[in-house]
Amino acid sequence: MTVPDEHLLILAAILFATGVAGFLLRRNAIIVLASIELMLNAANLSFVAGCRMHSTSAAVNLDGAIFTIFVILVAAAEAAVGLALVIALYRLKQTVHLDALNELEG
Amino acid sequence: MAQLLFYLLSAAAIAFGFGVVASKSPMKSVLSLLATFVALAMIYLLSGFQFLAAAQLLVYAGAILVLFLFVIMLLNMSDLETLAEHPTVSLGHTRVAIATVSAGVLGLIAILGAGAVQASESAAMPPDGYDKIEWIAALLFSRYMVPFQASAILLLATMIGVLVLAKRRRPVQTTELGRVDA
Repeated sequence: MTVPDEHLLILAAILFATGVAGFLLRRNAIIVLASIELMLNAANLSFVAGCRMHSTSAAVNLDGAIFTIFVILVAAAEAAVGLALVIALYRLKQTVHLDALNELEG
Repeated sequence: MAQLLFYLLSAAAIAFGFGVVASKSPMKSVLSLLATFVALAMIYLLSGFQFLAAAQLLVYAGAILVLFLFVIMLLNMSDLETLAEHPTVSLGHTRVAIATVSAGVLGLIAILGAGAVQASESAAMPPDGYDKIEWIAALLFSRYMVPFQASAILLLATMIGVLVLAKRRRPVQTTELGRVDA
């Protein structure tokens, strides 16, 4: 009557694969950052599944939940820095199209 | 009942996840990301993680998504002209092949791995959920004290870094005395 752990992991896998596809396919910097957030959320979901698997009703092992909190924190910091980079990029190039950045290709 | 709700929410999360990747304008993409986050928060709630569900809604939907929307509106990227000028998906054949293969292989490995997991005798959920705030606080202030402090330093460094990155640089002023940095 409760949520099955394996299905949580499968949902995390599907979301992660979607995020990878978006990261590799899209060229808009904002959507690339959104795909990264999607991948981080998939990772969080599998931490939650692991936390459930290592807990019994008598003894709860909360390491997974703590790790999820740290991932959320790092995701917030990463989004802030990434979006600041996007703003700086827009100021420099007037675009957020990643294919417009090829100075380092030599 | 809870299980049915879980599958409905999973389907919603997957559909909106595809929406993030597939929608043309960044605005629609970020709004589907919001829907994905809300569905995931509901899944956390169903799985017995009340605090994580609240944190997910507060931090992701409340803070990160607002930041995304703010930047999109600031840069005015929903402009159709700029969308037409730059293709949002560059469909080079190699790039599509690489993306499909890597996402497919990753997803397949993860799904097979998840299928191989032995469910732990379906232990009953504790009555008031897994993540009681007292337990989380006790762990954060004992075993995870060092990462906790380090995350405070990380947030401070992020704040300063973002300020430096996003600050408008003033043009260099020149006077008759020579170059003076503004």
